[in-house]
Amino acid sequence: MTARPAARRSALARADGPATVAALQAALAAENSAVYGYGVAGAHLAGPKRAAAVRNWVAHQNARDALTAMLTARGVQPVAAAAAYELPFGVHSAAAAVALATVLEDRVSAAYLGLVGLSDPALRALGARAVRTAALRAVAWRGSTLAFPGLDVPVPRQPGAPTAGRGTTAPASPSPGSPSPSRPG
Amino acid sequence: MARDATRRRVLAIGAVTLPLAMAGCKGLGALGTPPKAAPGVAVTGDAIMVETRLIAHYGAVLAAVPGLAGTLRPLLAQHHDHLAQLRARLIIPPGSRARDPASPGASPSGSPSPSAVPGTPAAALGYLRDAENAAAAAQLAHLTAAPPSLAQLLASISASEATHAMILGHVRHR
Repeated sequence: MTARPAARRSALARADGPATVAALQAALAAENSAVYGYGVAGAHLAGPKRAAAVRNWVAHQNARDALTAMLTARGVQPVAAAAAYELPFGVHSAAAAVALATVLEDRVSAAYLGLVGLSDPALRALGARAVRTAALRAVAWRGSTLAFPGLDVPVPRQPGAPTAGRGTTAPASPSPGSPSPSRPG
Repeated sequence: MARDATRRRVLAIGAVTLPLAMAGCKGLGALGTPPKAAPGVAVTGDAIMVETRLIAHYGAVLAAVPGLAGTLRPLLAQHHDHLAQLRARLIIPPGSRARDPASPGASPSGSPSPSAVPGTPAAALGYLRDAENAAAAAQLAHLTAAPPSLAQLLASISASEATHAMILGHVRHR
């Protein structure tokens, strides 16, 4: 008889170490916020852009499920998605929706770069593939490329907002790039 | 992080100066068994070679099809950024004969000969797109051997090159 699943899981968790679990959880959190964000962005888009948003929304759901399964297999409780996320700027137009989608992909590439920093070759390769995929999607939205996707993440800017003082964006958030879970009540 | 960078530099300097010191004592024949360099040094050297080659491809295409400059200059600038970040990880003493693949006068194997560069915009764009895709794959070839921060830089550069290939595939040329 083989080792009991629970014992095997805890052995795996020990072998992986906290760095691996933290990197997987960070990637999952980014995927969770991307799923939420594309839901918002898609509502303001039409035609091919809406189709792209829906495609990406489904892709991020699949990636979320894959990361959830990887964490569960390691005997770790995956981070839960928040019911709602605070967006980096108000999204009330197609241009703002495109800007939001760009931010989402930038943040996802940054999160997956955390997996590339681990020693496990399989996780490194998985991270590198995911950084590439997110960078390609970001360029499709942004229309231009970055020299260091995931490393140099541009500060999110609402389209049309003045460069200095970003309009209505509250300056309270320490990390304006990521749609962060809003705290209920 | 700072300590890590310092250690890396010491390793890099050690890797290039030791064979030279030995050569000074015993002549060129002593170069037979150079000390094993840290894995990050060799991987960085390979990555520098890949970027240098790609920059040479852009230079050749810009010379052959100047009309593409508006499209190619921003992408080329990002390759210079890649190269600068990679070279910052290798400190080579000035005046040393250590191989710096990106130094002027070095001719990396695989440099395009003028005849290899297509003369039409469409073919030139396809040529560069292939070169970007090849570079994106090459930068990941030694991902496992690289120290963590170098692995992240290589993955980021590789992703950037994949996006360049995408842009080059979508350019509308007149």
